[in-house]
Amino acid sequence: MLEIAGLSVRYGKHLALDDVALKVGRGEIVVMLGANGAGKSSLLKAVGGMVKREPGASIRLAGTELAGLPAHRIVGAGLALVPEGRGVFGELTVRENLALGAFPHRGRAAEADNFERVQNLFPRLRERLDQAVRTMSGGEQQMVAVGRALMSAPAILLLDEPSLGLSPLMCKELFQALARIRDDGTGVLLVEQNARQSLAIGDRGYLLEGGRVVGSGSAAALGADPAVRAAYLGVAHGEAA
Amino acid sequence: MLIVDVLLAGFTLGGMYALIAMGLTLQYGVARIMNLSYGEVLVMSAFGTWFAVTRLDWNPVAVLLASLPLGYLASWLIYRVLMMPLVRRSGAGPALEVDSILATFGLLFLLQGVLLLAFGGNYYSYSYLSQPVDILGSQVAANRLVVLGFAAAIGLGLYLLLTRSRLGTAVRAVAVAPRFAPLVGIDVWRLSAIAFGIGGALVAGGGTLLSMFLPFSATMGVVFAMKALVVVIMGGVGNLLGCLVAGLMLGFAETLVARFVDPGLTLAVNFALFLLVLLLRPAGLFGRVAR
Ligand SMILES: Nc1ncnc2c1ncn2[C@@H]1O[C@H](COP(=O)(O)OP(=O)(O)OP(=O)(O)O)[C@@H](O)[C@H]1O
Ligand SMILES: [Mg+2]
Repeated sequence: MLEIAGLSVRYGKHLALDDVALKVGRGEIVVMLGANGAGKSSLLKAVGGMVKREPGASIRLAGTELAGLPAHRIVGAGLALVPEGRGVFGELTVRENLALGAFPHRGRAAEADNFERVQNLFPRLRERLDQAVRTMSGGEQQMVAVGRALMSAPAILLLDEPSLGLSPLMCKELFQALARIRDDGTGVLLVEQNARQSLAIGDRGYLLEGGRVVGSGSAAALGADPAVRAAYLGVAHGEAA
Repeated sequence: MLIVDVLLAGFTLGGMYALIAMGLTLQYGVARIMNLSYGEVLVMSAFGTWFAVTRLDWNPVAVLLASLPLGYLASWLIYRVLMMPLVRRSGAGPALEVDSILATFGLLFLLQGVLLLAFGGNYYSYSYLSQPVDILGSQVAANRLVVLGFAAAIGLGLYLLLTRSRLGTAVRAVAVAPRFAPLVGIDVWRLSAIAFGIGGALVAGGGTLLSMFLPFSATMGVVFAMKALVVVIMGGVGNLLGCLVAGLMLGFAETLVARFVDPGLTLAVNFALFLLVLLLRPAGLFGRVAR
């Protein structure tokens, strides 16, 4: 459904993302693993049009080329990004943030349904609709960010380390919500440091190193790969899990 | 009754200041253009109204209904044609502030020059509903009541637009976090042009209202732009409620001082109030120092 090829990002001389290709299908969670500085955030920002892409990139969603679109047209085309640091409007209320999620036309038709769905997914938000987002806890703000992205009825949801800073309980809640989002037919590209939990709910995964994709496979296969276990799951080579 | 006199005069003047400042805060807080020619647009609208009323026999209220959309259109065009190149060049960086100050400074002289050429430096006015009305024993010119009513209605309309409509919410989103706005599909430049246009509608409406009860001249724009800026900063940049409170404070301070002390001191009191607020709350009454 989402097919990316030849995607590179350069900050001055530094090539942060080098000719990356990947696919995300309908209703699947694809996990992108990589160490700090591997280029994971750059990848998502490049897809979302928030950083400049090097020429020659192709970002196709259901056959439509999006690489030429400015950032504000990407979400309307069906790719919703929850960036590093969430990018919510802290001064506005939860309700206003969610309403803005439906700002693109594709979010308008089923706005009431999606509003209901987001509140079912994150019941905590239901009681806080008129609270300013800036006054909420980090986990609650993360829910607003994911909820806002869902309000645009995306085909693919791009998430940059949504579990960052969350308590184990909040984290579990969030990952369960992601699984339900996937089951509703939305594709999810999930950038995570939390390899264990993300591979547990993920369907497939890629490994990113120094801006390049150096490996890929099913979540189960990656979880069992000794090199992956050593690098991302903190398990030494040869040690039993 | 003295108290009614002071209340009505304070609300009319303060309401005008608030209305004009709201337009400026939209242009500065959302579109991030520090528009120095703001006062000239106000005066142009006042002269336009004078022309329509005295030469074309229009009713001032009808002129008001025309000046709102005209002000929007003209300002929207100014943003798209004159400001857009600066916006593009700055890449949303701090250069825009300096560039826009220089560009609108030029526009100030251009507009003022045109006005001086057409109307000279004299004060102009026309008579509209100037017969007094009796309110609780006070005599008030009817035109002030009309002005007060329309200023309140326009302010309320703006408030509802910004808080109750999706477009208005998007405008506020651009004001608080322009970097994140594209995440929800907001075209920041398009919304900035709209906000700049709405600011223009307010100041054009303000000019028409002003002409209904005060004499005006081609060179008085600067004073109004300055007062509007004082109100915007006092209230907290980008904050409409701040504009309302600060505008009324200024209006009442001027009214009280002119009535009980000396009309020549109004400007001094303005700036004393301004300094006091900034000393106590550096980000303005409703502003937060950092967001
Ligand atoms: N705006 C920028 N200017 C210059 N270099 C940048 C910029 N943003 C990122 N980089 C560099 O690009 C590389 C990739 O950064 P990126 O943020 O994509 O990594 P990441 O995989 O998301 O890391 P983390 O896990 O720490 O979030 C890093 O070396 C970083 O220093
Ligand atoms: Mg990152």
